[in-house]
Amino acid sequence: MATTTLSPQAEAYSRSWVLDWLTTVDHKKIGILYIVNSFLFFFAAGILALVIRSELAVPGLQFLDVETYNQSFTMHGTIMIFLFVVPILSGFANYVVPLQLGAPDMAFPRINALSFWLLPLGGGLIFAGYLFGGAAAEGWTGYTPLSSGQYAQGVGTDLWLIGLALVGTASILGSVNFITTIFKMRAPGMTLFRMPILVWTVLVTATLILLATPVLTAGLIALFIDRNYGGHFFDPAAGGNPILWQHIFWFFGHPEVYIVILPAMGVVSEILPVFSRKPLFGYRAFVYATIGIGLLSFSVWAHHMFTTGKVLLPFFAFMTTLIGIPTGVKMFNWMATLWRGSISLTTPMLFALGFVAMFLIGGISGVMLASPPVDFHLQDTYFVVAHLHYVFFGGSVFGVFAATYFWFPKMTGRRLNEGLGKIHFWIHFIGFNLAFFPMHPLGISGMPRRIADYADNPIWMFWNLVSTIGAFMIAVSILPFLVNVVATFINGERVGDDPWEGNTLEWATTSPPPPYNFDKLPPIRSERPVFDLRHKHDAEHLREEQLPVAAPADEEGNVSGKPDGDGGAER
Amino acid sequence: MQPATARTRSRSLIRAVVPLLLIGLLAGCGMIPPEPKSEAAKSVFTLYNIVFAMGVAVFLAVEGFILYSVVRYRRRDDRLPPQTHGNTLVEIIWTAIPTVIVFILFVLSINTLGIVEARSDANSGTGVDIEVDGFQWQWTFRYLDDDDNPDNDYSVTGDASNPAVMVVPVGEPVRLTLRSNDVIHSFYVPEFLIKRDLIPVPDNESLNHLEFTVSEAGTYAGQCAEFCGNFHANMTFTVQAMPRAEYDQWLQDAKAGNTPRPTPQGGAETLELTANNIAFDTLELRAAADTEFTLRFTNQEAIPHDVVILDADNNEVFRTDDLTGPDATEEFAVPALPAGEYTFYCSFHPVPAMTGTLIVE
Amino acid sequence: MSVDAPTSMSAQMGAVEIERREAGMPTPLVGMLLFIASEVMFFGGLFAAYFNARASFVGEWGPVHPAEPLEIMPIALPITIILLSSSVTMQFGVWAIRRGDQRAMRFWTLVTLILGVIFLIGQVYDYSVLGFGIGDGVFGTVFYTLTGFHGAHVFGGTVGLTILVARASQGQFSARNHVAVEAVSIYWHFVDVVWIALFTTLYFLR
Repeated sequence: MATTTLSPQAEAYSRSWVLDWLTTVDHKKIGILYIVNSFLFFFAAGILALVIRSELAVPGLQFLDVETYNQSFTMHGTIMIFLFVVPILSGFANYVVPLQLGAPDMAFPRINALSFWLLPLGGGLIFAGYLFGGAAAEGWTGYTPLSSGQYAQGVGTDLWLIGLALVGTASILGSVNFITTIFKMRAPGMTLFRMPILVWTVLVTATLILLATPVLTAGLIALFIDRNYGGHFFDPAAGGNPILWQHIFWFFGHPEVYIVILPAMGVVSEILPVFSRKPLFGYRAFVYATIGIGLLSFSVWAHHMFTTGKVLLPFFAFMTTLIGIPTGVKMFNWMATLWRGSISLTTPMLFALGFVAMFLIGGISGVMLASPPVDFHLQDTYFVVAHLHYVFFGGSVFGVFAATYFWFPKMTGRRLNEGLGKIHFWIHFIGFNLAFFPMHPLGISGMPRRIADYADNPIWMFWNLVSTIGAFMIAVSILPFLVNVVATFINGERVGDDPWEGNTLEWATTSPPPPYNFDKLPPIRSERPVFDLRHKHDAEHLREEQLPVAAPADEEGNVSGKPDGDGGAER
Repeated sequence: MQPATARTRSRSLIRAVVPLLLIGLLAGCGMIPPEPKSEAAKSVFTLYNIVFAMGVAVFLAVEGFILYSVVRYRRRDDRLPPQTHGNTLVEIIWTAIPTVIVFILFVLSINTLGIVEARSDANSGTGVDIEVDGFQWQWTFRYLDDDDNPDNDYSVTGDASNPAVMVVPVGEPVRLTLRSNDVIHSFYVPEFLIKRDLIPVPDNESLNHLEFTVSEAGTYAGQCAEFCGNFHANMTFTVQAMPRAEYDQWLQDAKAGNTPRPTPQGGAETLELTANNIAFDTLELRAAADTEFTLRFTNQEAIPHDVVILDADNNEVFRTDDLTGPDATEEFAVPALPAGEYTFYCSFHPVPAMTGTLIVE
Repeated sequence: MSVDAPTSMSAQMGAVEIERREAGMPTPLVGMLLFIASEVMFFGGLFAAYFNARASFVGEWGPVHPAEPLEIMPIALPITIILLSSSVTMQFGVWAIRRGDQRAMRFWTLVTLILGVIFLIGQVYDYSVLGFGIGDGVFGTVFYTLTGFHGAHVFGGTVGLTILVARASQGQFSARNHVAVEAVSIYWHFVDVVWIALFTTLYFLR
């Protein structure tokens, strides 16, 4: 197993493993740190979700006072988005992208470590509000003037602002690192259009982070100045404009939605082909759709503000519905990848299929909300809560679990138990739909979000109870997952370097990979170099450019020569 | 709980959903909005149902395709399936499909938007004009008369145990002016399928407006939809729609029972100054030189104001305590000042509307 | 499903040795340009806040009574000229090290550093005599926030310049190896461009 190790390892063992992990600049260790740290925040925010759902199970206030309730949903949203979904996807990207590029590490390993360590610091500050008179309680969107010094007097909101600014800085530094790595560290032969689709989605995501997050930082600073130094940015009394905050927040916040979903789409687009044993259908169309979503994401922010009466409704409605087009293209490409494939329902595949199925629902409800008159009814109701959970949870979190099951063997050399994995998937899937589907009828019938108590209307009582049961089912589904991780780590099945018959370069090295990843690489003539290597004698399934005789390729990886028979027209 | 007409409209949808999944049935039950009770809401309801039907069609097609593929194309042996990389023609086709769908959706939405946003003429003689004032955590509804004297307007303010009630005539436009002096609130009546935010703004021109025409007498629950702090959930209200004659009678009775506002008492030695909407009611005050006088300062809004007096060299000569309303009044004794022109302003909001001249002569 | 390969696939199936070569822009410069892109968006957010505040402001835009209106003399214009010339001296430094002239590079970097410090001192002095504060109306807030964050970036630049001077004194740069000089100069020019935008906006677009 050590045939590919080239670099000196002996020095690493002279230090204690704790110090080794604390000071590591290896992208694989940092990736794992990201993943572990994010799961810890996931559990914390998940507990907050259970607190919220317990309170909402029946009308009336049973467990919480309103302040604690408001803190709970604020922290739940903030932690889940900023300290779980975004960082854990960064973590997988950190682990996988350099491997998929055939690179030895990220471009700036020490900045990579800094980006990670800012996260527990920022997350700690956000949580520290609980120790100093109460955490932030203005919702994860922190709308002014509610979050201004006059209406949110606790220090919790200041800590929330500082923590978010640190977390934002972390992701900006991370995105500089990803983009530089992708442009400068690709292995010889890996042209842009031979990059694995996950790398493409990470590239677009990093660009969105790079351009959107600094705007949020500016807004956070402005609010901090208003709160602490007598500023008036958002103070209508002194000529400021509270709606400015919404513009700034959503100018960041809508790209943020794609920051959260695009890497998960990339993960799914890696997993579906592997377990269908086919290439991703329409690779180039998928790349263009990803870039299109990225571009459009900067012109749709005000669809979160239709009911403010302060935005140009037709323009933002039009741009928002346009996003349905590239998203639809992606959906069709996933479907066509499954079509006439050879499908194995492994646990990562189940989660990837769950992603496609659930993200579809979030996409449909998103298109409904893009229509301003419909949005006038549904905005700020539980319908929006349902929509965002189908996108973030049904989409991204399913993608996160798919990635966990898929790359765990690469990280540890051991495969997570498939039986426990399937138990996890089914409880998770059913619990997810029980928890979040009822929020659609709740919102459609007019239940506003962010209320600690609601009228004892029988419809609302029924669906809220169902939702609470679903939330606890999700929590239960995490138990087989945790047992699985611990048991596999101690004594799991050793499965070699390439247990899934993968397509991309991370499967061409050992599991776990040595420091600096590779000393030898297969020739890269398509986006599936390891597939090509595995099937290099299997000529009937290969296209011309994959044959061992190197064909002349132009700058973008287009290979001259006529396309093969089975539908190569796309590329 | 589904209203009968809604059920009829959605029956064909429900019929399509039922055979597939139990959850589909449950969805169909709750996935149609409340029966619309305002004129504009009826077109929103229709739009919603069209959009929802398109969504259900896409949902069934895609999920059906996925289920079929997963069952039909399960891995059976080690042979590789055909390695299909793509097909330009189908890519073009399925780029076109969502394009057509979203364009249809967009055109329908903009048409309906025109109906929802249509405004009647305030001077047409029909309808009522109501100023909605949202505050933490209830509502004030102020019925604006034709005369310009706000003292004659009837207003009702709710509290947590007695939420405010808005009485309106059926079949006539109800024109709302939406005002907030603290944080953002949102006026939402589910059965009218509409909401609009109440945003604290520095000037009256940028206030939001909302209009609806209730189509059926009845009582409709409403609630603040924008999170506004601790007791957000308490910001409920009801809209009570009744025929015009009953409405007129109600308003007359309500006004008769409404106690008139106390008239302010003034004296020669007392200067009156009132702050509201980030503005003083007057920007010029006059006082006698070398004589102590009383400043009777009223703050009508829930944000702090004060009064600072500067002499010609911009030195502070007097400052009141901070005063936070609504409707807080306090008298301050101002020491004797030499003759001259002084500046007074609010130190919280040193804007032109809160900066005036004090002439001491 | 498992292939149970005893060695990695690349080793087993005759993969080839990697030949890596670096071409195009040096990696640190790519990183610096990307970082500057994010900084552009940061200042873009602050400028958007400025123009939004100005557009929605009712009344006369500018420092609130009783402060004097903003004047470009006697401070703002001179420090602007100083900062602009520091960009020129920085570029002299870059050209010098591209020729391999370490002494000239150290000299011009030191001059740039001194000009940057003079700008900062001038800025702080200006603050002390302006007669309005960050809490004086929304203009005060946007004025101090914009100029303050620009000043912080100038300060960051002077730290970078100090490091350059220190490293240059140890002879660490040469015609072939001076990517840090290029990176700092790009940053310094960026900070300069931001000031031009700021100065124009605050003093002329009123």
